[in-house]
Amino acid sequence: MHSTGAPCQTENTTGMARSILAEVARMLDALAADGTTGSIDLRSLPLTEADRQQLEEMMGRGEVVAELELAGRSSVWETAYAGAWWVRHRGAGDKISSEEITVCPIPNILVTHPADIKAAALRIKQEILENHPSQAEATHG
Amino acid sequence: MADNKPQNNKANQTLGEMLTERGVSRRSFLKFASYTASIMALPATAATAIADGLAKARRQSVIWLSFQECTGCTESITRASAPSIEDLIFDFISLDYHHTLQNASGHAAEAAREQAMEENAGDYLVVVDGSIPLANDGYSTIAGISNRQMFEETVANAKAIIAVGSCATFGGIPGANPNPTGAVAVSGLTDKPVINISGCPPIPEAMTGTIAYLLSFADIPELDHLGRPKAFFGEAIHDRCYRRPFYEKGMFAKSFDDEGARQGWCLYEVGCKGPVTYNACATLKWNGGVSFPIQSGHGCLGCSEPGFWDMGGFYKPLSTPTGDALKYAAGAAVAGAAIGAASAISVRSKRDKVMKAAAAAATTPAEETE
Repeated sequence: MHSTGAPCQTENTTGMARSILAEVARMLDALAADGTTGSIDLRSLPLTEADRQQLEEMMGRGEVVAELELAGRSSVWETAYAGAWWVRHRGAGDKISSEEITVCPIPNILVTHPADIKAAALRIKQEILENHPSQAEATHG
Repeated sequence: MADNKPQNNKANQTLGEMLTERGVSRRSFLKFASYTASIMALPATAATAIADGLAKARRQSVIWLSFQECTGCTESITRASAPSIEDLIFDFISLDYHHTLQNASGHAAEAAREQAMEENAGDYLVVVDGSIPLANDGYSTIAGISNRQMFEETVANAKAIIAVGSCATFGGIPGANPNPTGAVAVSGLTDKPVINISGCPPIPEAMTGTIAYLLSFADIPELDHLGRPKAFFGEAIHDRCYRRPFYEKGMFAKSFDDEGARQGWCLYEVGCKGPVTYNACATLKWNGGVSFPIQSGHGCLGCSEPGFWDMGGFYKPLSTPTGDALKYAAGAAVAGAAIGAASAISVRSKRDKVMKAAAAAATTPAEETE
């Protein structure tokens, strides 16, 4: 960041991106071998902005992109390496609040939780009862 | 808030049930959990456990007591921002008493505190900001009740106590020399475990992260020797400072307007206390991760350490002997490439002894120290 004009050592790459890529390779091996899933918390690593950009370029983009709106924006995309997903959550002021690479068939954040399915089933029944009573009778025989 | 307490039939609702009714999905829990795991340096895979723990937890009653303080800690935790994932913590707690934030005032406010204590006996959290004066009970009162009396009666049936800010944790500015009010830290007035979240003010994420951890795991996070969560206070500012490479190379700003300052060199020689200050400013930063004092060109004041106000001067290098408070640093030369980290370790080691003594003094009731 350059809010003050003082050099902040964020312009240069440090080699961290290549290290993370190697870690992802090991995690993908494990996922392929026995289904072991895992995650790398990018915020906990001393990545410069240049490292982050380099890693994003190295990982590339795959077939799936999802945008979520839940208390701030979140973006999830499968990287060019199937099974390796980039999950970026944003919080206050659209700033990144957490960011991780997760190696799994599908990230948990995309899977609908059973409690939400149950709540949705209740809501849709209420909607039908309140606004479409004849349909409710037909539905329930 | 005090005037918005859940009805009895909702009292046993879990957070998951309560928020589902309000249309908050479990994905939001998971997002909050990912954020919490990240700021607390937990494995990313812990997010699922945190989300499950939060969903099963009950809304936590919190009584927030403010004594000799400036309200900066409250400003920090409620920092103005758009509704976001970080604000979810306020859905997880029922802030039953906070005399700055609550709608009720006067007798109604105190009644809310008493009601929360009665209804949640043994299960409420007490958060305290501000130190407690022992020299004279009349120095600081709320509704005619002395700080000491209010603290003692409120924590009697509390589940846990969180001291936020350097005043509540170590005496802070009210406790600075000559400490006219006999200010002490809250840990000196109770035998119950106290989680200290120091700082002037503390980083908001350190407060919300600790509360989220307590709710998720029903346990206290790992603490350092001063009772602070290691997740936030486990490393010195200096250790994670982006200017540290300049320190290692012996490249120091000599004044705030010289070429070194303009080039972003190390601020050690203009008084930075980063080498002896344990906090997460260099990693979590402030204002949603925008910056922190050193990034803005000013040295660290050491505000999360015991006795920071009496550390001998904000603009004097740690290596400068400045009377009693800095005797410990007198032997450490101004660091350069040759001495580098060794100097910091030396200063830190000596500083730890002094800090421990200062912490012990700050947490001992005044009458015992006289």
